[in-house]
Amino acid sequence: MRLSRPSRWRPRGLRARLLVAFVLVTVLGAAVAAWSSAGSASTALVNSTQQRVSAALAGQINASAPQLTYPPDQDALDRLRTAVGPNALVTYRNLRSEGGADLATDALRAAVRTQQRLVAERITVDGTPWLVLGTPVMITVPDGARTPSGIEVYSAHDLTGIEQQIDGLTTTAGSTAGVALPLAVVLALLAARSVLRPVRELRDTARRLTEGDLDARSPPQGADELAQLTASINEMAESVQTSMTAMHRMQSDARRFAADVSHELRTPLSTLTAVMEVLATAAGGMEPDVRESAQLAITETHRLVRLVEDLMEVSRFDAGTAQLRIEEVDVVTAVRDCLRARGWTEQVELTAEQDIVLGLDRRRLDVIVANLVGNALRHGAPPVRVRVSADAAQVRIEVTDRGPGLSEEALPQVFERFYKADAARTRTPGSGLGLAIALENARLHGGSLTAENAEGGARFVLRLPRAGEGR
Amino acid sequence: MKRIWPVVLALLLAGCGVEPSGPVVAGDAPTGLAPGVTLYFLDAQRHLRPQLRETGRLGTIPEAVSLLLTGPGPDAELHTEIAAVSVTRIQLSTAPELIRLRLPLTVRDVTPSGIDQIVCTALGVHVQSGGSRTTRAQVVFVQSTPESEKRRTCPLFSRAG
Repeated sequence: MRLSRPSRWRPRGLRARLLVAFVLVTVLGAAVAAWSSAGSASTALVNSTQQRVSAALAGQINASAPQLTYPPDQDALDRLRTAVGPNALVTYRNLRSEGGADLATDALRAAVRTQQRLVAERITVDGTPWLVLGTPVMITVPDGARTPSGIEVYSAHDLTGIEQQIDGLTTTAGSTAGVALPLAVVLALLAARSVLRPVRELRDTARRLTEGDLDARSPPQGADELAQLTASINEMAESVQTSMTAMHRMQSDARRFAADVSHELRTPLSTLTAVMEVLATAAGGMEPDVRESAQLAITETHRLVRLVEDLMEVSRFDAGTAQLRIEEVDVVTAVRDCLRARGWTEQVELTAEQDIVLGLDRRRLDVIVANLVGNALRHGAPPVRVRVSADAAQVRIEVTDRGPGLSEEALPQVFERFYKADAARTRTPGSGLGLAIALENARLHGGSLTAENAEGGARFVLRLPRAGEGR
Repeated sequence: MKRIWPVVLALLLAGCGVEPSGPVVAGDAPTGLAPGVTLYFLDAQRHLRPQLRETGRLGTIPEAVSLLLTGPGPDAELHTEIAAVSVTRIQLSTAPELIRLRLPLTVRDVTPSGIDQIVCTALGVHVQSGGSRTTRAQVVFVQSTPESEKRRTCPLFSRAG
């Protein structure tokens, strides 16, 4: 059996394999049983026939010998041959009486002469089976001693009838095996069904588990190996379901905690912001070093406010409560407004095709562009370029800079929350959530946001589908 | 798997037809030939003596006994102790291991030696014809007598019985 080479003849399905195995076993068993019974029957038939014919020959000779003259003349030999039957040969020294076919082999003649007993041999001549008997005729003295008389009798008997009987036996045995065949098929189908039903149920259960239905179970039936397998799979599903539930709970707990914390921070921060406004207006009349401290406090407070706002935004994305407010927006105008509002018009080159109108959330587009450009201004080097283009399927907004670009390690992680590419520059003005929020906003629009290195700097590409595709 | 099929095929074919065989012994050779029939007479000491009558063949038991009843012929050394009778027809019936001879004699026509002559002649022919050497003979006389019931053996062959 070579398993490595899948054969066209080897059935693949479990049902077909069971069927073939059953039929093979049945046919083999029936054939062997039929063969052995036919074989022993034919042996018995041949042996009994041989005994009967031998006894008959000896009887015929015994009956006619006392009436024969001895030493015999040709007439006596002819009479003996006639008594023996057709296909017989009787010899005495030079005399010979022959009738029908002389089929005696040299081996038989030799055996007759050496054994001085009745000898039988089965031969096949021209496809016809023959039983050839040879015997000397003995002279017995009254006290029982025997000597050969010199007369030998050979007689051939056609066994065609016996062979036909044996062939009949074999045919019957074969047809009996044939009758067993449909029965084997039915049994195989029944066995296959009883094995395959639990297997099919297991497959369905596994499929439902794969599709996310962690409640899927199959009831184990009976106490065989398949029932054990079913129980094991049920246990596995149980364990997976438990871990999944625990993980989901932990995740939602963490998110709710972040949302709660940022929410709780908002009220004290508003107060703090108001105080800082007052402090800012009063800063003019302060001593220079006090003013510097006040300025620092004001800057850090602004950072804190931004961080909390960003955290709340991320929490809304996590909770799935972020909502799009779609309106028809001229993308180029929106980008220009965004740059102007933050005072970046001088530092950033905007190239754009005119009149790209797209249905999107203006505020979220503003957040994305501001985060990308802000990131480029902080970490990259001028000139920072924003390029807006469009084709039939999507609108592209590219933000590029001439800075050192993104390192190999940073590239796959740049959109992760609180990821800092340079560990030394932890105190940058950003919250560390800007790019993550930009990516979530892009996804919310059904678009994508990618980062790559190009033309000696970093390039961020925002793609937004046209006509609300993918939303 | 591939090796099973030739075996199965060979087994199936082996069950078909009459298998040829070499020469094997299938029984004892037949017998019954003889240049003549052996009769038993008595010599001067009343011992049983065989006399070969060259009839050219063995013949049957009744033929031999009939021939015995006709006497030893001109051979002066032998005599018979069976009274001469004109009817020599013998009836023979056989049972397993027994030859029953119905003689045209009374028990007074024979001496015990004469009965031995009849028994030996009959059993001799029986053995020469291929019969068993343990077969016994019953001599039945025309008048009822206990002698008719006896199952006898020939004293000459008794060592074989």
